Amino acid sequence: MHYVILGNGAAGMEAALALRARDAEGRITLVSDEHDHFFSRPALMYVFAGQTSLRDTEPHDRGLYDRMRFERKSGRVASVDAPGHALVFEGGSRLGYDRLLLAVGSKGRRAPWPGSEGPGLHYFVTLRDLEALDREATKGRRAAVLGGGLIGVEVAEVLHDRGLHVSFVIREGWYFPVALDRNEATLVAEHVRAHGVDVRLGATVDSVRRGDDGRIHSVRLAGGDEVAADLVVSAIGVVPNTAFLAKSAVTLAPNGAIETDEALRTLAPDVWAAGDCANVTWFDGSRRPEQLWYTARDQGRLAALSMLGDDVAYRRGTWYNSAKFFDMEYTTVGHVPASIGPDGEPVVPPPELRIWFQRVPGRFESQRIVVEGDRVVGFTLLGSRWNHEPLLDWIHERRSLDWVLGHLKDAQFDEEFSRRFRVVAGAGVV
Amino acid sequence: MQSGLMNTYQHAASRRAWVAWTLSAFLFLAYVLLYFGPVPALGLRFDLLQRTAEAVGAALGLPPVFHSKWILYGTVYTLAMVVGGAFVLRRHGNSRYQLVRTATVVSVQVVFAFLLPIVLQVFGRHEYYFTYFWPLKIEYFYPSVILRHPFLMISWSFLGSLVAFPLLAFFLGKRFYCSWVCGCGGLANTFGEPFRHLSSKSTRAWSVEKVSVHSVLFLALVTTAIVWVNWAVGKEHPGFAAFAFRLQDWYGFAIGAMFSGVLGVGLYPLMGTRVWCRFGCPMAALLGLVQKLGRFRITVKKDMCISCGNCSTYCEMGIDVRQYAMANQTFTRAACVGCGMCAHVCPRGVLKLENAPIRWKAGQPIRVYAVDL
Repeated sequence: MHYVILGNGAAGMEAALALRARDAEGRITLVSDEHDHFFSRPALMYVFAGQTSLRDTEPHDRGLYDRMRFERKSGRVASVDAPGHALVFEGGSRLGYDRLLLAVGSKGRRAPWPGSEGPGLHYFVTLRDLEALDREATKGRRAAVLGGGLIGVEVAEVLHDRGLHVSFVIREGWYFPVALDRNEATLVAEHVRAHGVDVRLGATVDSVRRGDDGRIHSVRLAGGDEVAADLVVSAIGVVPNTAFLAKSAVTLAPNGAIETDEALRTLAPDVWAAGDCANVTWFDGSRRPEQLWYTARDQGRLAALSMLGDDVAYRRGTWYNSAKFFDMEYTTVGHVPASIGPDGEPVVPPPELRIWFQRVPGRFESQRIVVEGDRVVGFTLLGSRWNHEPLLDWIHERRSLDWVLGHLKDAQFDEEFSRRFRVVAGAGVV
Repeated sequence: MQSGLMNTYQHAASRRAWVAWTLSAFLFLAYVLLYFGPVPALGLRFDLLQRTAEAVGAALGLPPVFHSKWILYGTVYTLAMVVGGAFVLRRHGNSRYQLVRTATVVSVQVVFAFLLPIVLQVFGRHEYYFTYFWPLKIEYFYPSVILRHPFLMISWSFLGSLVAFPLLAFFLGKRFYCSWVCGCGGLANTFGEPFRHLSSKSTRAWSVEKVSVHSVLFLALVTTAIVWVNWAVGKEHPGFAAFAFRLQDWYGFAIGAMFSGVLGVGLYPLMGTRVWCRFGCPMAALLGLVQKLGRFRITVKKDMCISCGNCSTYCEMGIDVRQYAMANQTFTRAACVGCGMCAHVCPRGVLKLENAPIRWKAGQPIRVYAVDL
């Protein structure tokens, strides 16, 4: 049996390991055009920051491929010949497979503004993106980071640390509206501004302006304001890296992701998909990719079991995630209503939800607890660390707000000697 | 991100560039001069540091007791820790654990390892370091040293080594000493901060470490025992006495001077700051064994690790913390000195140093990543 995994990322590596754990004999080939060794994609930001080396971001020792007898093939795949059971590379060479896993991940959503095409416009998703930006991000230059999400805030932080003058341009009225409410976003914006970054809220980009030599000199905003910039980083989300599948038997959904069934099979025979490139069913019934590290690993492992012939079904658990905005820790667990939908349109929170909120005075710290009826259904916690496991338990145990507030300090995960959680004056349901 | 650590890989001194090699050579030379005085092989026929100390002492009009290269060394060492401590707090002062720990280890150095020994000497007493204990300070269990000091200090030494240290290591982990009190750890965690990521994380280094550090511990126990036997029966067995003397001397040279001093500090810019603590210190080995049985642990939050490697990179003891974090495995490693940097630099807050009894019992794992390798 020859298993071919297209993509050497989190989903692909996890699948390869799970395949090898069960099939000692099968031939397993990992195909990538990005890097010979599996590395942690979220960690590319720390390489950019100079905080780690690229080698530091490799989760496994380099002997793993030999020990596991994983073959590697470096090259760019042009298409999948599903009826012929083969990958077709640019240049025409082919690699046959018995079972194929597509774990091709994401790429940066293309900047849609006039003037975007050309030098000086960057993304931050792949190793190539990192290399290109690393060359240009030199001290004293001016950078505009477009897009108020997790990549945007991290790129802004690193560019600022590298001595660039950074403008952080956010289309919406507040930062990260898919996850944060106005209070929280205000807190984050204050924190980011306190570090010296020029945060522009409610700023729609009109065009990227270039001089006669083709070099970027500014970003024009709707309304006519200009943000001076020598380079631009477009961080407006990611899209599935699936363009090469357009003419294949692997069916793509309108959002560009690969359609899968609950066992992560695609519509083409003997082809599976996992990770950022695959549509799965969310809690609200919608079909979207889950662009998270731990779900990529989950899906990779499940796809491997499915490829081995197990009768499995991918079920998304209760949502949780964490991140960091400059020095501010961020944890979210459960159902927290978004302020904008996946389509970018504003969302009115359902009336049955009540929100308990507090901001800790004098600190960049807040807690938001979402309550439905008399049970807690979600948390957004900023500025301190939390263990999501008890929080998930409490949601599943249908705990009340009073009970949760009484026990919340037990879930705190900050370093020793840190300030303990307490309810402050002015806290309450808003 | 952890603002203090950004650019680490852009600084020449922190990535084994020529600055690092030069600094390493300088540290080697300084320690050789300190421990061995005149080095005819290097064309040095007099004790350069002692002469310097005398010249400085005379120039400042200090009493003769201060005209010592060891006091000069103590001053430079303590100064390096104070300046390094300030540097660490600028980087990591946003962590209260790092704040309290750094303030403690620097204060302990200034008061107990610098001022107090000098005061003792000024008053005509033997110098004594209240924060160093057998088997790190092996001579504090030698009969000749015991007979020289008052009963109070000897009780302090014995109670510390045999009662207090095992108990503290059991309840708090060896960090209570290695990264809160000890001067070797103190220098590593202050002056050595820019080099902490240079420790090797390979499994090979781990294997070497286990053999090496426990061999030194064994050697320390054997040396202590032989020195005692010699004290009891050496007069009747001159051959044994000569052997015991040579062993004691050799231990002082090879372990005390070469390993902990010349190599331990000299290799800071090339192999990280804990070469001695990790591969050589008998106290670290002993406390590590207690730690394995004790309460201290690094708790891992389930399924939140993004495998970025910051924890492993900044582990000065070369522990590949990421492997545990990826596998959702709460763990205790004998080597861990509890500096807390893995928890501090983790961008997803996955790790937590703990020694309290387990309060919140986890239910079933949400997922198990364990794929047997």
